[in-house]
Amino acid sequence: MTRALVLYAHPVPESFGGALHARVVETLQARGWEVDDCDLYAEGFQPVLTPDERRGYHDLDHNTEPVQGHVDRLRAAEALVLVFPVWNFGYPAILKGYLDRVFLPGISFVMEDGRPRGNLHNIRRLAAVTTYGADPFRAFLLGNPPKRSVTRHLRAVVHPKARSKYLALYGMNRATDADRRRFLDRVEAGMKAL
Amino acid sequence: MRALVVYCHPHPESFTAAVRDTALEVLAEAGAEVTVIDLYAEAFDPVLGRREWDAYLDGPPPGGPLDGHIAALRAADTLIFVYPTWWYGQPAMLKGWLDRVLLPEVAFALPPEGDIEPRLRHVERLAVLTTCGASRFLTWLVGTPGRRIILRGLRLLCARRARCLFAAHYAMDESTPASRARHLEATRARLRRFLARQPG
Repeated sequence: MTRALVLYAHPVPESFGGALHARVVETLQARGWEVDDCDLYAEGFQPVLTPDERRGYHDLDHNTEPVQGHVDRLRAAEALVLVFPVWNFGYPAILKGYLDRVFLPGISFVMEDGRPRGNLHNIRRLAAVTTYGADPFRAFLLGNPPKRSVTRHLRAVVHPKARSKYLALYGMNRATDADRRRFLDRVEAGMKAL
Repeated sequence: MRALVVYCHPHPESFTAAVRDTALEVLAEAGAEVTVIDLYAEAFDPVLGRREWDAYLDGPPPGGPLDGHIAALRAADTLIFVYPTWWYGQPAMLKGWLDRVLLPEVAFALPPEGDIEPRLRHVERLAVLTTCGASRFLTWLVGTPGRRIILRGLRLLCARRARCLFAAHYAMDESTPASRARHLEATRARLRRFLARQPG
């Protein structure tokens, strides 16, 4: 069975973010994925890279120790699906901290001839499911930082031939129930075709 | 000039601390009143939790744990962020400061109709002083999401004609004592010019 790691970051299970999370997990399971559902808030993930971790960051023999469980889960996944709200045109801190602490040298990248090379080649499917308060035009004017983070940074560290998709609902502040329902359906279709 | 310096690095003896000290020297020369927030030193909690999310649209509660941060932000006409760029963005701790402090009625307002309204019009200068492990080319390729979050996203909420400054030492892992010293001097010179210019 193929394994999908869902990284979910929202503080409120009854929110629309919670509904997106549920739809992602249900759809993947129905399609036969073995889902490792990592709810960062529910697990009480601590996102701050500590002084000791910073000091040992490049020590490839020991740098994974503080987050070994998360490293193992990440390396066991063939699909990585992020479900999060865009806050201030970026990831919520708890998700940013997952990258800071778990995407370590030797794990997410290795240095070859002084150049970084992506190393999460176990991941062949990459998806982000997200919502913006801002409308798409505003996000475009700002250069859409979270989209760049997913489609350029994360895309560069997973398998070179991995398929990726970025599913976003813009303008959440003004979205209607119908907009939200349509987006849930779009997410379901996206997960079916993952 | 009233400056707020938001500093974020786990090591007190880091190069980023030296960048902060350079900024503080230039601010002192300019006669600025300066407030420094040292996020690691105060063990800032970056996680916007359920209670804050539920009350988010009400704006900051009086007597809340973020009062000092909000007051410092409201008093500032110059806002300077000093941090290492990790994965092309702010460290989680600083990202969480943005998440928790840039609240409705502090940073913006969301009227029933129409666009969001900026509430940081008092901020006339906005600066990012950072280091990047990645090269300049790689950072450009990824599209500088961290820089955009502050110098475009937060910039929208500041004074219409606010000035921006971005100074980064790239390829930090290959940095040398000479490259770091050069960067500090270049940052000093750029900050001096930046603070001397009038907004707009």
